Amino acid sequence: MSDIPVTVIGGYLGAGKTTMVNHLLRNAEERMAVLVNDFGSINIDEELISDRDGDTISLANGCICCSLADGLAAALDTVLAFDPKPERLLIEASGVADPASIAAYAHAPGLRLDAALVVVDAETIRARSTDKYVGDTVVRQLASADLLILNKVDLVDADVLSGTKAWLSRQAPKAAIVEATNGAVASAVIFDLGLVNRAVHNVSETVAEDVFQTWSWTGDELKRSHIENLMTALDERDDVFRVKGVVTLTDEPDQPMVLQRVGSRWSLTVLESEDKPTLSRVVAITAPDALKPDGLDTWLGSATST
Amino acid sequence: MSEAVETTIYPARTIHTMNRAHPSAEAIAVRGTRILGIGSVDELSTWAERLGPYTVDESFADKVLFPGFIEAHCHVMTGGMWQFPYVGFFDRRGVDGRLWTGCKNIAAVVERLSEVEQQIDDPEETLIAWGLDPIYFDGEERLLAHHLDEVSATRPMFVYHASGHLATVNSALMAKEGITRQAATPGVARYESGEPNGEFQEPAAMRLAGDAFTTFRQTIASAEAKWNYGFEARNAGNTTVADLGTSNVADEEKLTEWRSVVNDPDFPCRVMVAGASGVAGTVDPTSLAELVLELQATESEKLRFGVIKIVIDGSIQGFTARISWPHYFNAPEGHPGNGLWLIPPDQVADLVSVYHQAGLTVHCHCNGDEAAEVFIDAVEEAHRRHPRVDTRHTVQHCQLTTPPQYRRMATMGMCANIFSNHMFYWGDQHRELTVGPERAEQMDACGTAEAAGVSFSIHCDAPVTPMGPLHVAWCAVNRLTASGRVLGEQERISVDTALRAITTEAAYQLKLDHDIGSLEAGKLADLTVLDDDPYEVDPATLKDIGVWGTVVGGRKHPAAKSNA
Ligand SMILES: [Zn+2]
Repeated sequence: MSDIPVTVIGGYLGAGKTTMVNHLLRNAEERMAVLVNDFGSINIDEELISDRDGDTISLANGCICCSLADGLAAALDTVLAFDPKPERLLIEASGVADPASIAAYAHAPGLRLDAALVVVDAETIRARSTDKYVGDTVVRQLASADLLILNKVDLVDADVLSGTKAWLSRQAPKAAIVEATNGAVASAVIFDLGLVNRAVHNVSETVAEDVFQTWSWTGDELKRSHIENLMTALDERDDVFRVKGVVTLTDEPDQPMVLQRVGSRWSLTVLESEDKPTLSRVVAITAPDALKPDGLDTWLGSATST
Repeated sequence: MSEAVETTIYPARTIHTMNRAHPSAEAIAVRGTRILGIGSVDELSTWAERLGPYTVDESFADKVLFPGFIEAHCHVMTGGMWQFPYVGFFDRRGVDGRLWTGCKNIAAVVERLSEVEQQIDDPEETLIAWGLDPIYFDGEERLLAHHLDEVSATRPMFVYHASGHLATVNSALMAKEGITRQAATPGVARYESGEPNGEFQEPAAMRLAGDAFTTFRQTIASAEAKWNYGFEARNAGNTTVADLGTSNVADEEKLTEWRSVVNDPDFPCRVMVAGASGVAGTVDPTSLAELVLELQATESEKLRFGVIKIVIDGSIQGFTARISWPHYFNAPEGHPGNGLWLIPPDQVADLVSVYHQAGLTVHCHCNGDEAAEVFIDAVEEAHRRHPRVDTRHTVQHCQLTTPPQYRRMATMGMCANIFSNHMFYWGDQHRELTVGPERAEQMDACGTAEAAGVSFSIHCDAPVTPMGPLHVAWCAVNRLTASGRVLGEQERISVDTALRAITTEAAYQLKLDHDIGSLEAGKLADLTVLDDDPYEVDPATLKDIGVWGTVVGGRKHPAAKSNA
């Protein structure tokens, strides 16, 4: 049984966490269990609800909402006892919680941390960060994020937006910044969906989208240093949301590895799969203008042995 | 009306009624669950006779009687703790009256656990213990896995710390739960070698202890925990306790359990069960308000409702309370500067307004002064939206509440419940580490509250510190730290004020003062029975006065006999 990926959604009051959770619930591609602070704020169309039972609401699309009334530990025990087990866990942190302290729960048997997201209100974040009571809390939240979801970008001028993004990069040097309106962000950005299982093309490609772009690179064995160089280079950027792949390394050619990166947190772990691909494939999900024009070829291109 | 109600007259050495009109009396007459009157045996006999048969019970003839003491801030899990052996630093008396001597160092902890271990037959059973308090150990000694491995290399062990933020486990438990050096959970502390050292910091890491942590959490919320809660209260001399926001009152099962336990005639205490709001969400405020009003309308004499608990900051000794500038005095490396909010401060006024408008009383946990400021602002805003009289909204803990804040509280008729026990248990740490000498001397400022005209109670917050109304009073009167230092002499209060704080004022704060808090005709017959008179002993020995037990609703509940 593979570990259940956990996504933490943090951010101060009014940033749009709940809107985002509602959006993700409506567009769920997996059977998600969603742990929420405030049941009342989850506004799901009644026809989507298949069952209500005290602290849980079951949806027709297979998702379950579970209240955090008895605390996170108890809620986790509840959802992990579900049969079948959920395919993903989404935890909505309270408006003042440090997402890092919630994310700590994901480092437990049966779970793994996918990403800690912090939703940011583009209009109010700068003022909020100097608030007498909550300034320090808000700034601390930013620093815990893998991905900052910069929400309500449609409500601010372009120069305010770029100023805010530059400021956010300083507050959260480890995070990538994803722009959003109305809390709507593509699942491929929010979640580490199974991109590596898609058909393999032996070419670089880009898939242009409104809000993000996918770059993929396919080749033969890679040196470990190629991966490390790529990771270091991306540390300088805040517009590469995710990198994911299955790679074969020259120092261990028989053991394909899974590469995962969100924000600037990354890992290389052994691929647990029967079929062992011989090619390496790396996919990056970025902001629309990032990594142009050569995508991942800039770092991995020369590694391709043809 | 069919049941024969008899009158019992109890003559006593002294009865302190806490009723200003009749401060003392030689006897009290009890009829059914209520007080028929106080006065002389002659006066009371004349009246009793008119009503039918009566008896004169001499068992309290050499005792000193008070209105039953009230602990207005503690938690039901204090009772649950006693299902596990105690390894804390200070002596503590179990619900069965057993005196558990304090474990003053690691060796004592290991010795205590070894004794317990040998008495468990099932080799698979996990040994769970509680109360570990390494903050008082010399030289920053920490209990780690290798210490516990001396106790047993095969039996899983889980030791819960007094702070509630840590647990120490042994190697057998880590082996059982598959915790290795690969464990990535933040809070898994390590030896220099990189192996986990058995110390799990914060709940996310504690959860790795698997069944042990689950068993612990469930046990401290069990029906037996509720029974022990009552026994612990009785042994300490409390006849009413407020379970302040531990219970999810929307949980039907737990509610039924509360009813069947507390309404059992053998259960020796009244309980005010507060509805917990907004700690980790719970039900939405409007529904909670409706529910609590409904519960209040159908409450019994023993099980009460009507109070809402909100928690907005952390603890001072944990460096998580919200304290105004210049914040913490000597915080540990890496501390972010100020403490944590548990709910967004901008939400507090909306939250308070819901309960305020519903006519309920809001009790808000505010350890730091910044937290108190937010709550007081919220109460003011609630009054602006929904003018209302006699709310008795209460600042709980009130540890750094300032003179201007107390004066604002007074203008709005707010109450304070001051955590006086902190003086003794953490006073030295507050002076050296958390807030520094100046603020430490102004902490838990009962004197300032009294001067500002704020009605206040004092509390223990059990299980954080042991249940003990006379200890709580002793702290407020003497302000002595564990090392023997007087901390803030100016904030001391008189014995009389302290005794009012645990009787009339606590009753007022819980809006139960029509029924309890003083001894007067018509009120419930709740008595605390003492071996000595707090007004006569040296105030320095207030905490040492023997407690015979209590009377709750006319029924005697002797304290458990002690072994020391
Ligand atoms: Zn408490």
